[in-house]
Amino acid sequence: MKLSRRSFLRAGGVSLALPLFDAVLDRQSRGALNADPPRRLVCICAPLGLHGPNLFPQQAGRDYESTPYLDLLKDFRDDLTVISGLAHPGVDSGHDSIFSFLTAAQHPERRAGFKNSISLDQLAAEKIGTQTRFPSLTLSAEGFSLSWTRSGALVPSDVWPASVFARLFLEGKPEEVQKQIRRLQDGRSILDQVGDQARRMQAGLGAGDRDKLDEYFSSVRELEQRLAANEEWSHKPKPKVEAQQPQNAMNAADLVGKTKLLFDLTHLAFQTDSTRLITIMLLGTSLVPPIPGVSDGHHNLSHHGQDPGKLEQLRKVELEKMRLLAELLGKLKQSQEAGGNLLDRTSVFFSSNLGNASSHSCTNLPVILAGGGFKHGQHLAVDASTPLSNLYVSLLQRLGLEIGEFGTSTGTLTGLEVAG
Amino acid sequence: MRTVLASTLLVLPLWSAFAAAPPENVRAYLTGHCTKCHSGEKPKGKLDLESLAADFSVDADRRRWQIVAERVKAGTMPPKTQPRPAAGDVQMLTDWIGSQAAAAETARRAAHGRTVLRRLNRVEYENTVRDLLRIEVDLKEALPADTAADGFDNAGLALHTSSFLLEKYLDAAETALNLAIVNGPQPPLVKKRFSFKDERAVKVATEKVFLARDDDLVMFSSSPWNSITTGQFYPQNRGIYRIRVSASGHQSAGQPVSFQIDAGPMLMGTKNHLVGYFEAAADQPTIVEFTDHFEARNTLRVLPYGLATAQAVNKIGAEKYEGPGLAVQWVEYEGPLYDQWPPASHRRIFGDLQQAKVPIQSDRNHLEVVSSDPASDAKEIFHRFVYRAFRRTVTDDDIAPFVALFEQKLAAQYTFEQAVRVALKGVLVSPEFLFFRERPGRLDDFALASRLSYFLWSTMPDDELLSLAGEGKLEQPGVLREQVERMLKSPQSRALTENFLSQWLGLRDIDFTVPDHLMYPEYDDLLKTSMVEETQRFFEEILKEDLSLTNFVASDFTFANERLARHYGIPGVKGHALVKVALPPELHRGGVMTMGSVLKVTANGTTTSPIVRGAWVLERIMGTPPPPPPGGVPAIEPDIRGATTIREQLAKHRQIESCANCHKLIDPPGFALESFDVIGGWRDFYRTRGGGKAVVVDGKRMYYGRGKDIDPADELQGGRRFQNIDEFKQLLLEDKDQLARALATKLLTYATGRAPEAADKAEVDAVVAKIRDKNYGLRSLVHEIVQSSIFQSK
Repeated sequence: MKLSRRSFLRAGGVSLALPLFDAVLDRQSRGALNADPPRRLVCICAPLGLHGPNLFPQQAGRDYESTPYLDLLKDFRDDLTVISGLAHPGVDSGHDSIFSFLTAAQHPERRAGFKNSISLDQLAAEKIGTQTRFPSLTLSAEGFSLSWTRSGALVPSDVWPASVFARLFLEGKPEEVQKQIRRLQDGRSILDQVGDQARRMQAGLGAGDRDKLDEYFSSVRELEQRLAANEEWSHKPKPKVEAQQPQNAMNAADLVGKTKLLFDLTHLAFQTDSTRLITIMLLGTSLVPPIPGVSDGHHNLSHHGQDPGKLEQLRKVELEKMRLLAELLGKLKQSQEAGGNLLDRTSVFFSSNLGNASSHSCTNLPVILAGGGFKHGQHLAVDASTPLSNLYVSLLQRLGLEIGEFGTSTGTLTGLEVAG
Repeated sequence: MRTVLASTLLVLPLWSAFAAAPPENVRAYLTGHCTKCHSGEKPKGKLDLESLAADFSVDADRRRWQIVAERVKAGTMPPKTQPRPAAGDVQMLTDWIGSQAAAAETARRAAHGRTVLRRLNRVEYENTVRDLLRIEVDLKEALPADTAADGFDNAGLALHTSSFLLEKYLDAAETALNLAIVNGPQPPLVKKRFSFKDERAVKVATEKVFLARDDDLVMFSSSPWNSITTGQFYPQNRGIYRIRVSASGHQSAGQPVSFQIDAGPMLMGTKNHLVGYFEAAADQPTIVEFTDHFEARNTLRVLPYGLATAQAVNKIGAEKYEGPGLAVQWVEYEGPLYDQWPPASHRRIFGDLQQAKVPIQSDRNHLEVVSSDPASDAKEIFHRFVYRAFRRTVTDDDIAPFVALFEQKLAAQYTFEQAVRVALKGVLVSPEFLFFRERPGRLDDFALASRLSYFLWSTMPDDELLSLAGEGKLEQPGVLREQVERMLKSPQSRALTENFLSQWLGLRDIDFTVPDHLMYPEYDDLLKTSMVEETQRFFEEILKEDLSLTNFVASDFTFANERLARHYGIPGVKGHALVKVALPPELHRGGVMTMGSVLKVTANGTTTSPIVRGAWVLERIMGTPPPPPPGGVPAIEPDIRGATTIREQLAKHRQIESCANCHKLIDPPGFALESFDVIGGWRDFYRTRGGGKAVVVDGKRMYYGRGKDIDPADELQGGRRFQNIDEFKQLLLEDKDQLARALATKLLTYATGRAPEAADKAEVDAVVAKIRDKNYGLRSLVHEIVQSSIFQSK
């Protein structure tokens, strides 16, 4: 199942863009049609959890009986695996577990000594990010993102789909493009100078301080490279899509509206090969989402305290999430690409940092994995001690990365196999 | 990999194999009292004392040893079932751990200093850019959230840098410079008075909730959609505007009528801010006046507070409605207000350099700063700017990189102003701007000025601090004392409330949950706003008057307005302004633990948890933070159906010995606080959704029922029983030194960006000793912290 280094290079090096029916084909992507199609990953987090009893089937294996949440995904039964039992070892109860959702860093807490590690999307971006206009997209419905750098810094998120759409697909006027190129050049000149200053500052500093300045150095270096790449890309036309620039969902409580926009954007970004890595933090606020039959704040509903009324409202909210997920899977599946469909080449990982939001526990995380060319159609019930990182290793390998471990992994996820 | 290593360790003999083995008497203690459980293949609490090296220079090992010391000292280890070690032996062990930790720390500090190079967090970044450039701007929202450590988001260790952050800094610098430098004439001053009768919101209203009369418009409803967002104030230019509103109470039986004003873009999903709650006197026009900064195309919104719902008014119709209303006579605005043009922000950069027309495609009247001697003018600009940006004296060498940038861009056919802009942008992403410049050992005067300024003001030092530092006077204790006084008296010290207090007590989480409106129908936004303000005003009062910090535990006063007083049951408070009020003892209030704000942020909107609240009190008030929860223990499942209480659920938990050790420390303060519900209201019973006796409030049957009774009694370490929150507070007051130590530690953590450690214990104790005779005054504490060597050293 591991790709050889050579096949990885072949896959990555040339397949620059595969915008099929909606997009204009440039010369490079025409040439790429014969190469292996790109592999993609989208990681989605519902920060207030998913109510386990509504999601997990009673039986493990292929012949499981569907559940209220899986009912909405029944068209994709053979395209997805629902996994129970996974958790991040050493990630303790509480909302702070969100820090470690895609990084698996242990004991995320607001005390000294905790330093986050790189999230799997950013790790993958280091390897395959240069092949697309955007190394990765970090989308968020509420501001906080799921992605972290190697230095332990939070990657800023994009919350406004309309501006992301513009960056991806809208060409500016010639003078705007010129202005942008000039801005990139100015940025590079500036980085040139400040890097030298940091070097001068280092004299006489201790090890801890040097680490901090090293972070600054590598940031300067990485940004220099990115600005250079951006400049190169800014000379190439952007892919064209039929879709119109979306209107942002302005209601801060609009779980459905915001999620839909982010999912639609995900589909378009993958379809045009603008990026191959996306993380999405869904909405999880204290506000009342505008969904019929829901009158309580979402956060409050997740703390249902077993109250049947609250559980019923929570079900309504979470069914909407499932419906939207089904819609995304449908769009990906309908999009053809080089003899296959996008879903087969896109691992859709949908989960939460909380296993039981009512008690803030972080075990038995709700995991739905769809697409990506895995053997699906089952409820994979794993031992309670199985690290979620094992799934992450499987996902990274599926992207073509030669990686044997990630976070707290002990291997790949047993029971999850690549389709033949 | 890890498993292999662990099993290798198992076959190793005891400590003798390790270079860093504890001394003989310590080993004897450990063998005698600890290793029966804490060793072997599955050591309890995953603590294997046989393999724990006595190398205190390794952070993780040192921390484990310190936890050992804490447990042994607290008497929770060895467990009660085991023979007690002799007091002298306990002392020996904890002394050894303490001295080892201190020695390791002292060695590290000699080489590197105590703190770690710290960059500005996003709040400090925004404030610094604002004060450096003299502009009003919101930049922090565009920067990624900072990670926190030790409870504060200005901890050097936790503040990381990434290429993404740097890119955001480049964007933010551009935004800021675009606001600071002007390229056109002064926007015209507009002054206009208008009537709400002409508002579109009123004309198109489908509900009969507004009454237009000759001289005013009466608003009868407090339903949010009946607010008036004014279309008649919609400024084309950003800047400061003076707003005046004339309003009176209508049919209000001699009582004032309240209303709230918000300002902002007023679009769905955008951030608006509360200007305030105001009162209009009955039948007598009251003029409310304020100035505020408005971005272009931002506006105002007015909503009466505490009046009827839209439905209730509409049913009768505004014409016939006899209830109270808010009559608004007129609204007036004037602005944008500028003292001078070009504004201060522009002059601070360019001095008296003239502007000239440099037409560009989009603006034929575009003005730019021009220079007849670009090289020397630019150098002067950079010297002036970099001195403030770097917060220290600068040499030609320091500005050389920016001169180089300037020249490079000039050579690339940029105009003088454009080239200066690029260089200034460079200053704003320079490491010397973004990071604190602190060298191991005692801080130099400039570093001291910055540390002081970011401590009390969360921003860069002002001209006075910088010039005192330049003269080398700041390190003098008397000068420092005067400066602390000056800074605390300045309105800028509000930053200490906003950034220290709110993180110390966790107030930033106030909006994390919105309590269920059926379970807590009495909760509203005014109550929430008032709660937070209460805590802030209380803190500021204690600081201002140098009152004892024991007031944070128990006080006979607080601040309240009418709304909050109703919540607490304090009689006789009127109006929206918070005033200092005496607290009758029977209300069980006083101190921060029993304030609505704290009780709300320590609950989740549906339920309270003695664990969460107990840990909060231990960590933030008592200064004895509990260890993090062990993995693999199922959390308590909250249940509001009424059949069980949290105490009953926890009791099971506490029967397990390994849980009991920590929970008998954590739970008691939490039980004491069980007398307060999720919004900080006093309660004798739980509200339940599972039936229970009907509850009637003001003649209305409540949606919730009467659940089981509250039992707030418990006992602290050493069998000290308490029956309720009042007795609990008294028990805390028995050790005032510890309360002072706890707060001093918090303040030092915040002030220096790193928590004090074992090596600082003597110094922290010295600070506490100095304020003991001053009745533990908070202002005295701030002074002593600034005078301490911890504060004055890296």
